[in-house]
Amino acid sequence: MTPTDLITLSLLLAGCGFYLAGTVGLLRFPDVFCRLHALTKADNLGLFLVCSGLAVHSGDWRIVSLLLLIWLVGLLAATVSAHLIARHAHEHEADAPEEENELR
Amino acid sequence: MTTEPTKPAAGSFRTGLSWFAQAFLVLTLIWIALNGLSGFWAGLAAASAGAAVGTYFARGQTYPWRPLKWLAFIAFFIIESIRGGVDVAARAMGPTVRIDPVFESHSIAIPPGLPTILLTSFISLLPGTLSVRLREHDHELIVHALTPGSMASVTRLERALAWMFNVERADG
Repeated sequence: MTPTDLITLSLLLAGCGFYLAGTVGLLRFPDVFCRLHALTKADNLGLFLVCSGLAVHSGDWRIVSLLLLIWLVGLLAATVSAHLIARHAHEHEADAPEEENELR
Repeated sequence: MTTEPTKPAAGSFRTGLSWFAQAFLVLTLIWIALNGLSGFWAGLAAASAGAAVGTYFARGQTYPWRPLKWLAFIAFFIIESIRGGVDVAARAMGPTVRIDPVFESHSIAIPPGLPTILLTSFISLLPGTLSVRLREHDHELIVHALTPGSMASVTRLERALAWMFNVERADG
C-alpha cells in the first residue's frame, strides 16, 4: 500500500465516521434544532473528508475541481436547508398553542 | 482602514455590469470544472445567459475581489467547520449527550447583502450554533446554540467576514 493509498483510506474512513456520528446525533438528540446541528456539521465534515480522500487518490486537477464543486454545493445545500427547516420549526413553535408547547 | 464596497445604486449600469462579470466568471469556471474545454463556446453562451438572468432578477451589491483574503477566509472556515463537526460528533457519540440547548439573539453588526447572507449560512457549520431566523429587518439573528458558550464562534465569524469584505462592524 502506497502512502497515497494510506492517506486516501484514512480520509475516507474518517469521513464515514463523521457521517455515522451525524446519524447517531440525529437519533440521540432531543429536538429538531439539535438534530439539525448533528446533520449539518458532522455530515459536512464527512463530505469534506471523503472529497479530500478522493482528491488525493485521483491526482487529476479536473477531478479535484469537480470534488471541490461537489463539496461547495453540498455545503450550500446543507446550510440553506438547515436554516429553512429551523425557521419553519421556530415559526411553528411560536404559533403553537400553549398546551402543545408544553408537550415538547 | 476600510474601503467602501461598490454602492448598491439599484439600476446603475456599472453595478449591473460588475454583478454580471462576477456571475459570468463563476459560471464559466463551473462549466470548465464540469466539462473541461470541450464545448467551451456553448459554455460561454450558457454562462452569459445565466449571468444575464441573474443580473436581471437578483442583482446584489458587489464587492471587490480579494483572492488572498478569500483564501484566508476559506482556511478559517475549513478549520472552524472541522471544529464544528468534531464538537457535535463528540457530543453525539459520548456516553451521555452533553448539550444544554438555548436560543440566543445576535445583533448583526455587518452590512446587509452578501456579508449577512454568508453569516447566516455559515453559522450553521460552526461549533455549536445553528442559524434559525432573521428578524428586525435582517438586523437581528436568532441562533440556536447547543451550549450557552457557543455564541463566541458567531462573533469570530462576523469579524472574519468584516475583514474579508473590508467593511466596518457596527459595534467597531
